Amino acid sequence: MSDPTQLKFLVVDDFVTMRRIVLGLLREMGCTNAAEAEDGAVALSMLRKQKFDFVVSDINMPNMTGFDLLAAIQADEKLRHLPVLMVTAEARKEDIIMAVKSGAAGYIVKPFTKATLEEKVTKILQKLAPQSAARDGVKQA
Amino acid sequence: MNMNDLPAAPGAASPEVFQQLGLITRQLHDALNQLGIMPKLQQSADGLSDARNRLDYIARKIGEAADKVLTEVELAKQAQADIIGATRCITSVYATDPVRGATDAQVIAYVAQVEAAASRTDNHLTSIMLAQDFHDLTGQAMAKVLSLAVDLEDSLVKLLVRTAPEEQASKAKLGFLSGPLVDPIGRVDVVSNQGEVDDLLASLGF
Repeated sequence: MSDPTQLKFLVVDDFVTMRRIVLGLLREMGCTNAAEAEDGAVALSMLRKQKFDFVVSDINMPNMTGFDLLAAIQADEKLRHLPVLMVTAEARKEDIIMAVKSGAAGYIVKPFTKATLEEKVTKILQKLAPQSAARDGVKQA
Repeated sequence: MNMNDLPAAPGAASPEVFQQLGLITRQLHDALNQLGIMPKLQQSADGLSDARNRLDYIARKIGEAADKVLTEVELAKQAQADIIGATRCITSVYATDPVRGATDAQVIAYVAQVEAAASRTDNHLTSIMLAQDFHDLTGQAMAKVLSLAVDLEDSLVKLLVRTAPEEQASKAKLGFLSGPLVDPIGRVDVVSNQGEVDDLLASLGF
């Protein structure tokens, strides 16, 4: 799971501009298999219907916020393993702490650079590689 | 009216409290009327509605602009990728034919220059693409201001309920108050860049 180009990404943001930017950056990283959702509710529905490997989500969204999406992912046994990278304009320390405690795999504050996104995605995948290998092993067994 | 006359229990508002609040409001209304402030408040309420429309317009226009730039950037990036692909193809042809490679040295050098220039242009395009995040950030900041304006407008309309059209009150609604940080100076509850985010995450064992 450590090669991001082999993964399917879901980008969640209510601003279409931001979705296009993140999708564009992912494409530059070689991650061409990506879909988008305009809020947490749509994202959750997609996650339950299709297989995704990585979620990049905003926090402040209508219908279902990024925090609520994160909580729903954590509460779902089939989705719990999914890494969720929060990419948001929320700069309050309280939000960052809450995101980490809620199970976010990483946190990027807007505005950000291509290098930051690449570094975070790589770091998260490297960190999750042993867990992913163990899960794959269980499945094969 | 003496403040000591007010009930002591803050959690349980009694009918007397509402009665007294109504009296205060009435007195304020009369005082504002006598001072000629009501028409000015009416103008302020109308002005807020106008400001809200203007902010909506700005938000729409910057959204359209960002969308257009992104579309053009995506097309230009694809064109750069095509150029880079073509130059690499030419380079590989020369690489397999040493005789032509030796005679067409200038062509090979030119192709390499084109590829390098296309790569640089692509990097600039990436920067332009990233810069469009201003739409998201300013949009959220404007949404916050809009929400505050709506709240203020609601308060004014309530104050003007006897003189302003009733339908104005229905315009008021609350939205998100969260959003991007506009001015981090002097604040300890927020982070101002990704470095501070990483420091905070590290302190949390991340």
